[in-house]
Amino acid sequence: MELVTLSTIVGWLTYSALLSLMALGVTLLYRTTKVANFAHASFVTVGAYVTYTLSIALSPNPYLGVPVAFVVVGAIALLLFYAVLEPMRKRNSSTVMLMIATLAFDIIMLGVMNIHADFLTNVYVVPSRNVLLSGSDFKFMGQPGILCVALGTLLLCSAALYLLLNFTTLGIALRASMENSSLSEAIGINVSMMLAVSWFIAGGLAGIAGALIPLWTLINPNIGTVLLASIFCASIVGGLEQIYGAVLGGFLLGLVDVVGTSVLASLVGPWVAFYEPVIPLLVLSATLILAPKGLAGVRVRRGK
Amino acid sequence: MAPIDQVILFTVDLSALFAVYLIINIGLNMQEGITGIPNFGIVFAVAGGAYIAGGLSTRLTVSLLGVQTNFDPVFDNVAVLQLVNPILRSQPSTAIALLILFLIIGGMAGALMGLISSAPAVRLREDYLAITLLAFGEILNVIGIGYKPLIGGPIGVNVPDIFGWAGQYRFYMGTLVLLLVAMAIFAYAGYLIKTPFGRTLKAIRDNEIVARSLGKDITRLRTTSILFGSLLCGIAGSLWVLYSGAVTPTYARFDWTFLPWLMILLGGMGSNRGTFVGTLIFVTLNKLIIYYKYEFVGILPFDVVWLNYLLLGIITILVLIYRPEGIVREKWTATGQNLGAADKGMKDG
Repeated sequence: MELVTLSTIVGWLTYSALLSLMALGVTLLYRTTKVANFAHASFVTVGAYVTYTLSIALSPNPYLGVPVAFVVVGAIALLLFYAVLEPMRKRNSSTVMLMIATLAFDIIMLGVMNIHADFLTNVYVVPSRNVLLSGSDFKFMGQPGILCVALGTLLLCSAALYLLLNFTTLGIALRASMENSSLSEAIGINVSMMLAVSWFIAGGLAGIAGALIPLWTLINPNIGTVLLASIFCASIVGGLEQIYGAVLGGFLLGLVDVVGTSVLASLVGPWVAFYEPVIPLLVLSATLILAPKGLAGVRVRRGK
Repeated sequence: MAPIDQVILFTVDLSALFAVYLIINIGLNMQEGITGIPNFGIVFAVAGGAYIAGGLSTRLTVSLLGVQTNFDPVFDNVAVLQLVNPILRSQPSTAIALLILFLIIGGMAGALMGLISSAPAVRLREDYLAITLLAFGEILNVIGIGYKPLIGGPIGVNVPDIFGWAGQYRFYMGTLVLLLVAMAIFAYAGYLIKTPFGRTLKAIRDNEIVARSLGKDITRLRTTSILFGSLLCGIAGSLWVLYSGAVTPTYARFDWTFLPWLMILLGGMGSNRGTFVGTLIFVTLNKLIIYYKYEFVGILPFDVVWLNYLLLGIITILVLIYRPEGIVREKWTATGQNLGAADKGMKDG
C-alpha cells in the first residue's frame, strides 16, 4: 500500500493554493492596517456563494464567479474599511478595538450569508447548504481542473501583487505607508487611500479564493469561519512581516494538514483523520515557540 | 400559563443566564480590560470547564456515592443517572458538596485551557496572542465530538441533577446558587482590582516598558491574569452545565467569545461595575429580542435567528464608533498618594 497517493498530492496542492491566497490578504492587511482581520472568514464565504449563486442563476460554468467575486468581496472590504474602520481610526481607536470591529462585521456577514442561503432554499427552492460544484468542473490530464486553476491563480495573483508593489508609483506609495504612515503623510501620500487600496486587494484575493472553494469542497455559510484558524495559522507560520511568507505558510500548513493526516491515518488508524482541525494549531504553536517571527523571519547564518 | 407565571419564568431564566455571563465577563475583563490581553478565545476555557466537569460529573458521583452498577457513566448515561439522581434528591448536603467539587474541577480545567492556549504566544506582542487564542477557540468541539468517552460524542450527555432536592423549585434553586456564586466573584474581583496586584496588572496594560523597568515580571503576571480569567470562565462553564443538566459539544465563538466581548465593551472596559451593568443590559435586551422575534416567524423567508447576528453586530460597531469607553468609565484606583486626585477626578467626571 502506498503511503502517499496521487489524489493526496492533488488535494494538498489545491488546498495550499487556496489557503495561500487567503493568507496573502491577511498578511497584507496586517502589514498596512496592523489589524488581524477576523472578517476574512466571511470574505471567503461571500466569494463561495457568489460562484454558487451565479452558477444556478446564469450559467453552469463555475469559473464565471471568480472575477465577479473579486469585485464583490473587494467592495465589501471597502465597505468595512470606510464605514467602520476609518471612523474608528480617526478617533484613535486601539488595534484591539479595530480587531473587535472586524469580528463584529464578520458576525453581521455571517447573518447575511445565512439569510442568503435561506432565501435560496425558501424562495428559489434550490439546495444552499453543503453544496458542491465539482461536477461541472473540467478535467485536465485526468486531474480536476481546479488543481491547475488554483495554482495558476495563485501564481498570477502573487506575480501581479509583486509587480504592483515594486514597479508602480501606487505600489511604492503603498509600501511607504506600510513602513511609516506619518512620514508618508508628510510627503503627500494619501495614507487613507492607500489603506483602502490594500483592503480592496485583500478582500478581492479572499473573494477569488472563496469563489474557487465550491469546486474543491462542500460549501455552507460557515465555510469561512471553519477555515479562519487555518488561514491565520498559515499567515503566522509564514511570518506576518513578509507578504510572500503567506504562500510559504500556506503550502507548509497544507502539507502537514493533508499529507500528514493521510500518512498518519494509514499508519495509526483512520480515527486520526477526525482530529485534522487540531493540526494547524500544533503547527502554529510549534512555529511560535521555535521561530516567533515565522519562517520568512528565519535567517540562515552563512560563514564569511 | 398565567401572565404572572410567564414573567417569573422569564426572570428566573434571565437571572441564570446573567449570572453565568457575569462570571465569564469578569474573567474576560480581568484579561482584556485590566491587563490588556486580547483573549479572543475565551470559549476555549468555558468549553473546557463545561466538558471536563460535565464529563467527569457522572463518573465521580457514581464512585463517590459508592453506587454499584455495570452501566457505563457516559455510554449508558440515562440508566446510571436513574440510579444516582434519587440519592442526590434525598441528600441535599451531599449534592451541595458535589456541586462545590464540580465547580473546583471546572475552574481548574478552565485555568489549564487558558495556560495551554496562551503558552505559545504569551511572550509575543498582543496581536500574535489574539490570533493564537482565536485559533484555539473552537478546537474543543472537535475533541468533544471525536473522543466519545469525554462527553459521549455529538449528542452529548446528561449530568447528575445537583439541584434535584429542591423538587419543583429546582430551577429557582439553581438560579439562586448561580447568582450567589456570581455575586461572590463580582465582589472579589472588585477587591482584587484595587489591590497592589490589580494595579500592577493595569500598569502593564498602560505602559509595559515602565512596568518592566520597575522590576515587574511581565510574562509571569500576564500568565497569572490569563490563569485567573480562564479559571472564572471554567467555573461559569461548569455552572451552566450543572444548571441546564446536560453538556453537548456545541460551544461556539458567537455565544461564548463574541457576546462576552460585546458586553464588556458596552459596560466599559476595565471597570468592574461597568462589566456588571453591561452584562445586565445586554442579557435583558437579548432575551427580549429572542422573545419578540418569533412574532416574525412565517412572515420572513428566512430563519429569524440570523436577525440576532445582524442586530448584535451593528450594535457592537455603533458602540465602537460612538461610545468606545462604554457606559461606565473606568475609575482611578485610589491609593495613599493620589486619593485627593482621585476624588477630584470623580467630581469632575
